Amino acid sequence: MFRFLRLSVLFAVLFVSAGSHAADASQPLSTADDLGPQVDQPIEFPHDRHAGDAAQGGMQINCMYCHTYARRSMTAGIPPTQKCIGCHQSIESVRETPRIKKLFEYWEAKKPIPWKKVHDLPDFVRFHHERHIQRFYFQQGKPVQEVCGYCHGNVKTMTVARRTKSLSMGWCVSCHEKQHPVDAASTKTAQGPNDCWQCHK
Amino acid sequence: MMENGFNRRDFLKVLGWGGTAVALSGCGNTSVEDGRETVNSYVEAADYVIPGIGVYFNSTCAQCDAGCSIMGKVREGRVLKLEGNPDSAINRGKTCGLGQAGVQHHYNPDRVREPLQRKGEIGVTITWEKAYELIAEKLKDVSGEEIAFLSGGVSGHLKVLLDNYLASFGCRNHFVYEALAPAVVRAANKKSYGVEMPRYNINKAKVVLSFGADFLGAWVSPVHFSQQYAQFRKGVDGERGVLIQIEPKMTLTGANADRWIPVRPGTEGVLALGIINALGTAGGDIAALVKDYDKVRVSKETGVPPGHIDKIAALLKLRSPSLVLAGSAAEGYAHGSQNAAAINLLNHVLGNVGKTVEAAAEVPFPQMAPARGNTAALKALNDGLAAGKYKVLFNYAANPIFTAPGGMKFKDNWAKADFKVVFAHYMDETALQADLVLPLDSALEDWGTHVPEYMADGAQINIQQPLMERLHANTRGMGDILLALIKQRRPEDYKSYEDYYGYLRAAMLQNKAALGGGGMDDDTFWSETLSKGIVKLAGAATTAVHSKAGATDLTLPAATQDAQYPLQLIPAVNVSLRDGRHANLPWLQESPDPLTTIVWDSWVEIHPKKALEMDITEGDIIEVTSRTGSVKAQAYLFPGIHPDAISIPLGQGHEALGRYAKGYGVNPFQILDAVFDKETGELAMHETRVKISKTGQRVIVVKDESAAGAKQIRKKIAGRMSTDNVDLSKEV
Repeated sequence: MFRFLRLSVLFAVLFVSAGSHAADASQPLSTADDLGPQVDQPIEFPHDRHAGDAAQGGMQINCMYCHTYARRSMTAGIPPTQKCIGCHQSIESVRETPRIKKLFEYWEAKKPIPWKKVHDLPDFVRFHHERHIQRFYFQQGKPVQEVCGYCHGNVKTMTVARRTKSLSMGWCVSCHEKQHPVDAASTKTAQGPNDCWQCHK
Repeated sequence: MMENGFNRRDFLKVLGWGGTAVALSGCGNTSVEDGRETVNSYVEAADYVIPGIGVYFNSTCAQCDAGCSIMGKVREGRVLKLEGNPDSAINRGKTCGLGQAGVQHHYNPDRVREPLQRKGEIGVTITWEKAYELIAEKLKDVSGEEIAFLSGGVSGHLKVLLDNYLASFGCRNHFVYEALAPAVVRAANKKSYGVEMPRYNINKAKVVLSFGADFLGAWVSPVHFSQQYAQFRKGVDGERGVLIQIEPKMTLTGANADRWIPVRPGTEGVLALGIINALGTAGGDIAALVKDYDKVRVSKETGVPPGHIDKIAALLKLRSPSLVLAGSAAEGYAHGSQNAAAINLLNHVLGNVGKTVEAAAEVPFPQMAPARGNTAALKALNDGLAAGKYKVLFNYAANPIFTAPGGMKFKDNWAKADFKVVFAHYMDETALQADLVLPLDSALEDWGTHVPEYMADGAQINIQQPLMERLHANTRGMGDILLALIKQRRPEDYKSYEDYYGYLRAAMLQNKAALGGGGMDDDTFWSETLSKGIVKLAGAATTAVHSKAGATDLTLPAATQDAQYPLQLIPAVNVSLRDGRHANLPWLQESPDPLTTIVWDSWVEIHPKKALEMDITEGDIIEVTSRTGSVKAQAYLFPGIHPDAISIPLGQGHEALGRYAKGYGVNPFQILDAVFDKETGELAMHETRVKISKTGQRVIVVKDESAAGAKQIRKKIAGRMSTDNVDLSKEV
């Protein structure tokens, strides 16, 4: 008669242990809207102020002005602090605001700003920034914010960037299966590569 | 209630469910670290630095003393791989396997990371300030004569700084020790040619006659010689060069030779005189010297057939210029100087001096010239320690407790010094016996200048610059440590140098004009120097070589017999492990020995005839006993060794150093007798005689090759057909 009880005791123990394991594990990969976690950055960088539309008070700076490595390398990288200082040393109007003061503290200490990674892929995936920007921006002539936005979302409306796409394999493939024009002038179309080894090297 | 406990069936059932639950909860992309992983950006980045794309930075290889220039591929601040710098006359864009493994010294998990002070049997972590205070305190009450500094070969500004530091308290006891340096040959060269290390032009020779110089493997500047060798094989005037290697144990060079001639160990000099006799071209003193070395006598003493001697002489007469090299196998005897002198004499007789033996260029800064290591220095230190002369002992870039021959009892004498400071990369055998261990930056993290001992074409100073930030926060460069120490003694003179980098830069800029930077501004000159990694000194002076032969009063003893210890022990220099400092690099441990293909272990090379006589089979554990001690290792039957000799490779048998070194193989240094060359006082490495006995154990030798000659464990096996008869299309 205790047989059922015995089993339930075992199950209870196991679920508790499994539950604790789940709490240890990483945060959910994506929310219902593919929205990534809110990331606290050392400096709350206002993308909207820098890249946003003029009507909303933005400076409309080209993404690639700061994210200069993305078009040249597989890795997008993070702009060196030097880049920020290059402009901000001559922008007196915001020099004493808390974020800029913090920026200069890092600069004067020559310490890199410990930014947190917002968009990450597993180590077994090889994503090439340069290829995508060459194809969509330079060959097809699409607007830069649209091109970056395919994966990074509408960053110009954000302050600190937040992941808005799932970046899962199915999501990548959904685009790679579409026919895209080869270049701005052509009517010829082609798919993105669908070989496993393109990404899983 | 639970007297039965859970039965097995229930348990498995729940486990099954549970496993699924765990798998579900644990199923996530755990390598994705949105919002948690930090991405460090550069503060300032050069235009050419792009994340994801590597940049090559020039530096200098520190794996051996050859001084090859390297360039390291650096990406996102990490050094990934080393290549040769094409601008260097020494290695012309190439590196060897040993050089490639340099990154494993850098990333090695066993590096010392904190300064350690001895407290009884353990080392306690202390701060650098404390360490410097401790040294100052210990040096306070001792005189300069009671301080000794043992180091490996040093050159460049580090040597200048070290000399100045030692001079600051009147210490003249700088012992420069290299366990495997060609020190006897250097001394013989000085007498024969007037320079310690002339430039050998292997590429201009039509015949190379090498007495145990493993110039393709581990001798002096192997990457440079390998390239010369390639040209030599293509030939001068279309005539392919002929290489004859004379040595009792086959080296990598011997394996490449057209003719490998095993000689009775120690009789190399006799053979050289025999060849001069057979040439019959010498006159005067030399003719008188070789008069008695007719081929019958020489053949009897050396074991080389008379026909061979004639053939060598005929070939040397036919083809000129040639080049004769005296290497480590010829110099390692009590009469090693005589051997080397006799061999060098051949170059004079053949008229090679000035053609294939030329004067090397010299760096015009004598204080930067390399302090050449030798083993006589170790003996001098050992004698001083035994007599209780030294109270404070420093040790840098040497591991004497591992490499000192057992017969010296160095470890016991070491303990007689009151305070021992070891500058270390690893907790090696010597660091374990220290009172203070100071952790060093790896060669890929440190600054420096180096003057190579063997100069290829022109004179050059090699620049070493860090390819990467420090991996461990509390290691320091040797230059920085010396600067901090010398500031204790002479604060006024050195206060303007914030660190060794500052010192180096100031010292180089001071001599800008002499270093070829005349007319350049300081920053341009400095960044050009770092970018190139080499300072070439055009028009550097050369000392002319003597064209006249030196002393001809050579006495060459005949080989002796020893009934109790019938075999000669040849401690072989392994191309990768050298004197053992590289044994903690797994890439080198797993690189098969070029001749035996054995990995991760030691072995005893024994001639098959001798093995048959003693009923030894491959893999038998045999005990090798000398007057000093004994070691046990697996037997390897090898036809490339003289039947009267056995050979054990050096470098293995560590009791410390690190996880990849400790406990592998045996250390033949331990059983070397303390016999010295009579003229130079250098350790006679090949002078140890041994006996061997079987222990009854047998192991399978771990190696790449399989049994040769259709024999397995001395049983003949039957083949099917030779592979060139196989029609592969039918096989598939």
